[in-house]
Amino acid sequence: MRDTRRARLALGLLVAAALILITVDHRSAALPVIGPIRSAAASFFGKVENVSAGITGPITGFVGMVKAAPGAERAVADLRKENARLRGELSAQRVDQGRMGKLDKMLGLAGLGRYRVVPAQVVARRSVPGFEDAVEIDAGTVDGVRQDMSVLTGEGLVGRVVQAGPDTSTVALLTDPALSAGARLEGSNEIGVVSGLGEEGGGENLVRFRLLDSSAPLAVGRRIVSFGSQQSKPYVPGVPIGIIERVESVPGELIKTAYARPFTDFSAIDVVGVIVQAPKRDPRDSVLPPVPRPAPTPMRARGRDQRQNEWWLGSPRVEAGPGDRRDARERGDARRRADEPRDQTGEPATEGRETGGEARVRPGRAAGGAEMPGRAAPAARPAEERPGRRPVAHAAAPAPETRGAAARGASGRAAAGNAATGHATGHAAAGHAGAGRIAPDSRAVAARPDAPPAHRPRERDGGN
Amino acid sequence: MLRNLTAGLLLLLALVLQVSLLNRLLGSFAPDVVLLTVVALAATRGPAAGAVIGFCGGLAYDMLPPANHTLGQYALVMCALGYLAGRAGERAPLVIVAVCAVIAPGLVEGIGALLGSPGLTWPVIRTVWLRSAVCNLVAAPAVFWVVNALSRQRRRGGGNELVTSWRRGTA
Repeated sequence: MRDTRRARLALGLLVAAALILITVDHRSAALPVIGPIRSAAASFFGKVENVSAGITGPITGFVGMVKAAPGAERAVADLRKENARLRGELSAQRVDQGRMGKLDKMLGLAGLGRYRVVPAQVVARRSVPGFEDAVEIDAGTVDGVRQDMSVLTGEGLVGRVVQAGPDTSTVALLTDPALSAGARLEGSNEIGVVSGLGEEGGGENLVRFRLLDSSAPLAVGRRIVSFGSQQSKPYVPGVPIGIIERVESVPGELIKTAYARPFTDFSAIDVVGVIVQAPKRDPRDSVLPPVPRPAPTPMRARGRDQRQNEWWLGSPRVEAGPGDRRDARERGDARRRADEPRDQTGEPATEGRETGGEARVRPGRAAGGAEMPGRAAPAARPAEERPGRRPVAHAAAPAPETRGAAARGASGRAAAGNAATGHATGHAAAGHAGAGRIAPDSRAVAARPDAPPAHRPRERDGGN
Repeated sequence: MLRNLTAGLLLLLALVLQVSLLNRLLGSFAPDVVLLTVVALAATRGPAAGAVIGFCGGLAYDMLPPANHTLGQYALVMCALGYLAGRAGERAPLVIVAVCAVIAPGLVEGIGALLGSPGLTWPVIRTVWLRSAVCNLVAAPAVFWVVNALSRQRRRGGGNELVTSWRRGTA
C-alpha cells in the first residue's frame, strides 16, 4: 500500500520503455542498436534451450513411446505380416520365373517343329524303379489331350499319354521299361528303336537305342530324334530324344545297341507340352539344338548355355568321329535345302496373314491368341535361315506379356495355350478352329478353315 | 465307425503325399508311405481288419492316377501283408512293420516279374529291393508313430472304455 506511487511510477516507466522498444523496432529495423541485443539474447537462450532439451529429450521420448505403444505393436505385427507375404511372393515369383523359362523353351521347341502343343504341368509322379515311371499332368480331354499323344519339354521328348481323364492325364515316361519309340539318327535315314531302361540304366535315366541296320555307323555323340509313328500317333516325328553315350557292339549281332542320355532331365520334369497336332511335314533334324562347338575350352561354354553344358558333361567324347558326322550333317543340309522351295512357295505366308486378319475380325474369342497367327506365320519357319536357328526359336516364343501370364497358374495357362498353338503351327493350321479335336487325318481338319467344331474344347485349344 | 473313418483319411493322406510330394522330391529313393501306413494300421487293428485295410489301400494305390501297371498288384500284396501284420501286431507291432517294410518291395517286384513286366531282371530286382527296403526302414518308425498316435487317440475318444487312463492307473 505504501508503495503505490512507486509502483505506479515503475509501471508507467516500464510501459513507456516497452512502447519505445515497440516503436523503435517497428519503425526502423535498420537501427544498429536492436540487432546486437537480439543476437546476444538468441545465443544465450539458445544454449540454455539446448541443454534443457538434452535433459528432457529422453523423458519426452519415453512418454511418447509409452503413449504410442499399442499402435507400434500393431505396426510391428503388420510389418511382420507384410514381410512374410512379400517374402512368399518373392519366392513364388522366383519359382514362376523358372517355370516361365521352361515354358518359353518348350514353346520355342514346339515352334521349331511346328507342333501344336497344349502346355501342362506335372502334378504327381509315380516311379517304381524298373517297374513303371509315370507322371500326372494337369491337362485332360477338356483341353484336347487324347490317348497316345506325344509329350515334350523344352529339351526333348518326354513320353506319351497313356490315359487321358477329363482334367488330368497320365504320361508314361520314356524311361519306363515298357515304353518304346521309333527313332532316327540325326542327319541320316538310319532308324532304330528307343526303349526305356528303368533300373537297368543304373539310375542314370539312360535309354537304350537299338539300330536296326547293324552295318550303319553308330558313334558316340550322335544325336537321336523321334522317327514318328503312322499318322503321328503316338509319336510325332522330329522331336529330339537324346545323345548317344555308349555303343555296345557285339560282332555278329543283327542289331546294334547303344545307350543314349535323353535331353530331358527326367528327375525334374515340371512344365511339359502335349502335342495335339503333328506338323504337316517331318521337321527332320531342325528341332535339335545347335551342335556344341568342339572347342578346346569347354569351361567357357559352361556358363553360357546350360543345355550345351549338359551335353559337355554328359559326353566328353562328343567329337569322336567328327568327319563322319559332318558329312552326315552336310547331307542333311542339302536335303533340307532341296525341301525349302516347296516350303516357301506353298501356302504359309499368304494364308497365315489371312487367318490373322480373320482372327482380328472376331475379337470375342481368346484375346491372348487373337493376333498371334499373323505375327507367328512368318516367324515360325525353322528351315528358312539355317544359321540363325536359335533366333527363330526366340521369335516363335510368345510375346513377353503373354509369357508373363503363362507362368501364372491355370488362367495363365489358357493364354499360353493360345500363344503356343498360334505360334507352334506357324502357318496354315494357325487359324483353324477346333484343331483340338484330333481327326485321324490331321490334314482334313487343316483344310477347312471355318469348320465349326462339334464340341469345342476349352479356349486354349482354339488357335484363332 | 470313427476308427474306420480315421483309417480311410490316413490312407488318403498317405496316397496323396506319396505321389505328389515324396516321389517328386526323392525320386527313386522315396519310401513307400502307403505301404507303411497300411501295415501300421493293420498292426493296431487285428488280422481281419488288417486284410480289409490292406486290400482297400492297395486297390486305391493301384488306381491312383499316374498308374501304368496291372490293376490289383498292390491290392494283393497289401492284403496279404495287412493280414500278416494284424496277426503278429499284438506282440511286437514295430517289428512286424519293419519286416513288412522289408519284404513288400520284393513281393511287388516278384508279382511284376511273374506278370511279365519288361525290364524286371534278377539284378534289377535285387538292387531295387535293397534300396526300397532301406528307404522303407528309415521311414517306418515315423509313420508308425504318426499312425499309432492318431488311431489311439481316436479309440480313446470315441471308444467303449469308460475308465480313463489315469484312473485306470490308480485303481
